[in-house]
Amino acid sequence: MMERNKMGMTLFLLSEAVFFLLLILAYAFYHTSGELGKQAANALDVVKSALFSVALLSSSVTLWQAHVCLKSGGRSQARLWLAATILLGLIFLVGQGTEYSHLLREHVTISRNLFGTTFFTLTGFHGLHVAVGLALLLILLGLTELGTAHEPTSSAMEAISLYWHFVDGVWVVIFSVVYLWEYV
Amino acid sequence: MKLQDTSVFDANSPQARAILHLFYFDLVISAVIFLAVASLVIYAVIRFRQRPGEGEPFQDPGNPKLETLWTIIPALILLALLVATAYTMRVVNPPVIRSEPNVVVIAHQWWWEYRYPQSGVLTANELHMPVGKKWLLCVESADVIHDFWVPGLGAKVDAIPRNQNYLWITPSKTGVYPGTCAEFCGEEHALMGIRVIVQPQEEFEAWQQSQLRVPAKPSGVEAERGAQLFEERTCMNCHTIAGTKARGTVGPDLTHVGDRQTLGSGAIPNTWEQLTKWIMDPQKIKPGCNMPSLKLTESQAHDIAIYLEALK
Amino acid sequence: MSKESPTNRAINSLADIKEYRSMLSWITSVDHKQIGIMYIVSAFVFFLVGLGLALAMRIQLMVPVSHFMSPGTYNQIFTMHGTTMVFLMAMPLLFGFSVYFVPLMIGARDMAFPRLNALGYWLYLFGALMMYFSFIAGGAPDAGWFSYAPLTERGYSSSPGIDYWALSLLVMGAGSVATGINLIVTVLTLRTPGMTLTRTPLFVWMIFFNAFLVILALPALNAALVMILADRQLNAHFFSPAHGGSALLWQNYFWLFGHPEVYILVLPAFGVISEVIPVFSRKVIYGYGFMAASTVAIAFLSYGVWIHHMFATGLSYVILYVFAGSSMLIAIPTGIKIFNWIATMWGGSIRFTTAMLFATAFLIQFTVGGLSGVAFAAIPIDWQLTDSYFVVAHIHYVLLGGTLFAMFAGTYYWFPKVTGRMLSEKIGKLHFWLMVLGFNGTFFGMHLLGVAGMPRRAYTYLDRPPLGTLHLISSLFAFVLALAILVFLWNVVRSLRKGEVAGDNPWGGWTLEWATTSPPPVENFDRVPPVRGRRPLWDLAHKKEGGQP
Repeated sequence: MMERNKMGMTLFLLSEAVFFLLLILAYAFYHTSGELGKQAANALDVVKSALFSVALLSSSVTLWQAHVCLKSGGRSQARLWLAATILLGLIFLVGQGTEYSHLLREHVTISRNLFGTTFFTLTGFHGLHVAVGLALLLILLGLTELGTAHEPTSSAMEAISLYWHFVDGVWVVIFSVVYLWEYV
Repeated sequence: MKLQDTSVFDANSPQARAILHLFYFDLVISAVIFLAVASLVIYAVIRFRQRPGEGEPFQDPGNPKLETLWTIIPALILLALLVATAYTMRVVNPPVIRSEPNVVVIAHQWWWEYRYPQSGVLTANELHMPVGKKWLLCVESADVIHDFWVPGLGAKVDAIPRNQNYLWITPSKTGVYPGTCAEFCGEEHALMGIRVIVQPQEEFEAWQQSQLRVPAKPSGVEAERGAQLFEERTCMNCHTIAGTKARGTVGPDLTHVGDRQTLGSGAIPNTWEQLTKWIMDPQKIKPGCNMPSLKLTESQAHDIAIYLEALK
Repeated sequence: MSKESPTNRAINSLADIKEYRSMLSWITSVDHKQIGIMYIVSAFVFFLVGLGLALAMRIQLMVPVSHFMSPGTYNQIFTMHGTTMVFLMAMPLLFGFSVYFVPLMIGARDMAFPRLNALGYWLYLFGALMMYFSFIAGGAPDAGWFSYAPLTERGYSSSPGIDYWALSLLVMGAGSVATGINLIVTVLTLRTPGMTLTRTPLFVWMIFFNAFLVILALPALNAALVMILADRQLNAHFFSPAHGGSALLWQNYFWLFGHPEVYILVLPAFGVISEVIPVFSRKVIYGYGFMAASTVAIAFLSYGVWIHHMFATGLSYVILYVFAGSSMLIAIPTGIKIFNWIATMWGGSIRFTTAMLFATAFLIQFTVGGLSGVAFAAIPIDWQLTDSYFVVAHIHYVLLGGTLFAMFAGTYYWFPKVTGRMLSEKIGKLHFWLMVLGFNGTFFGMHLLGVAGMPRRAYTYLDRPPLGTLHLISSLFAFVLALAILVFLWNVVRSLRKGEVAGDNPWGGWTLEWATTSPPPVENFDRVPPVRGRRPLWDLAHKKEGGQP
């Protein structure tokens, strides 16, 4: 039987999956029924976004690595991997921020057209989830500084890892739907 | 002409009748099931009431065969209902392929606009139809979601902005059929009445012709004053009267308003006294409607009413 | 009636539990029993508010073309009535019963996440207060509890009511999801040894699957709420047709939530009935397997019927056929339950306590509601009767005649356990009969109103017989219903003060909550009885015969 904190987080992520699914469907629905595709193609910088997406996805790898280290007792190594994760996550958010500011400079806002409406809502909520995830990872980093017993940290680590991997997974879907659709 | 009922039991078209027959079928099924359940419950209540000194009854854990039976029997009944449903749907509202609508119904907060594409007639709040003809209504909305529902003539359909929905109606009896908006659309949803006037073919033709005529210039002092006031006091910003400078489209077209049976989309009967009251303070009769109180004196409102009543 | 206690505690009322004596202990509580009581009491307070709103509506509708209240006021009142009854009364009431009884029934000490449990409650209360704050902050929401776009766009609804509505629901929704997660993890991880999932009481089973509905349906509402807030506050265009947005997208998302939501409102009631009928018939539930399986079926199917709220929106025939079929399909597992409950009573030895009376009335009234629902699945009937008073009749027969009656059954059944006192059976019977009279008198005629062409959500109507007469009758009986509630309130107040002491197991129940004191001590059990079947206490009492699985 799954440990209860992990189980709770899994169920929470299930509910979040529904939430993101509906935002993605709204984007997809408007994409197929109007001008949205052209607007997206004109406004987005796929290459730059791909770069900072790589950062986000790598952060999942570093987090997994941190977990491995923690399980085998390498606390200082785990801290380094955790810090790397946070850094990569920050790079993603900064990258997202530059994408936003570029769009806003081009006057593509949430109220400009349907692309703006759906894009900013979808990526905005994703970015919010990343930010919350970073806060959780920072707390985790703090816990690994303080904790001597493995048990509480391990449970928190597993649950927060699940969350972080989920947020990365959602980004894979969002990136595909929003950025890559034009090339299909 | 006789004012018809708004009961679904008073079906005046093949569409409404088909729905009614399906409803009867459903009522029979429901009655049978309800009587079965109710009698079983009542019997159990009486027969298995605890008697003094009674021991524990036999602990029956269930009988999968019996339970399967009362799974399958309702399923079969519902299957029959589903088949009847599919059949009735095709009778009531067959899909529209390449048909031109006979009338375009445009819902507004809180009145109805009717355009007849074939003849060019444009009117408001009263829909005239010839008896016995299968007509296609195209239902749209100019603002929020409304719904066109005349129970005596058949199904309802939503009026959705930027969308066209279609409704087939073949009225089989002449008469005046009241209806109502049936999708909550804001403050005066309750008084957004529909009035369908089903006439013999010749009368309908005559009506269409009269609607296309430009009304005569106002005669009589009061009517002339009224026409003047209509122009000066911003009425023309919202209303259209053919043959005058009034070209507003926010509110109902008033070109032949004198002909109509009601005012305010069914809120009040169309008499010059009621019209005077309406012009003086529409907010009192239909609070929240989009026509503001224009701060006219009673005599000014009276003059405008006389003018408008002559627009036949 | 057994007043013997397997423990040596002298606990006979909430006042005997010293941990519950201070107000602070309630506000800071993470004890599932205190939180459960707070949910239930708050829900009841909002029930009274919602009832008051309903009475105001019924006064307005008593006569045609009434000027008792303006349409603007009426629209706020009917919106708040629906929103209050669904989100501020029914859901918290059901959560209250769930978080109170699930841990007890599985022999646990508390919920899996006690602090999350408390958070769920306080999010609910805060959201509820924020919702009502709107009345004095510019206007309550006035676009109906379902708030269809584009009416809810800024251009058509300029008061902040819709914003309050959306924000409050987001807050309360977060609490609901938290509680749903908590219930699932509790049932999966904290069952006492021997209690496999298929040995849990049906109430627990139904709450368990209900919790999945909660965590998978509320997010759909959250997505829609976020989108309407974006439209209203940030000038986004999700639902504004003028900018290419879709008016129907709101309806799809809302009903994707809304249909599972109505099952969320009814499954716990089914759970209560499944506990009450066996105990008062002195018989095991008939067909536990079919009861459990049909619950799972309902949970799954509830995600596949949402379009039936949109049959009049002009959808294609393919879609219409599929959803007519699925909507009829979902009636089948519900029907199974009705027959199984009757079969439980059949051959039993039935004691008509107030709880059993409410459960019996539920069977008949819920059937009426279910049948009127099936009528809507037959699409052409829906094309006539949707958005009419026939729908109002349907929803009140299932939610009031169904869920509320079931929750009263649960209240009379479990009040002794929670408070240590019995509710008066005499007053209870008065309450019951007044409710049957008041409820049916108010709502049966609404079937006729619908058929007579009366649209719903209308603040008034023209004087066309029989509308006036039907409305008048309904309004008069609404006051009988209100009187019934006052009688119940009197019963509660009186019984808390001088009700008969209940003892551990006044009804001879068989599930684990009856194996401890009334009320239970803070840690719930001194010792959890062994569980080798679905009715641990029945097995214990029948040890010689070897019990039953």
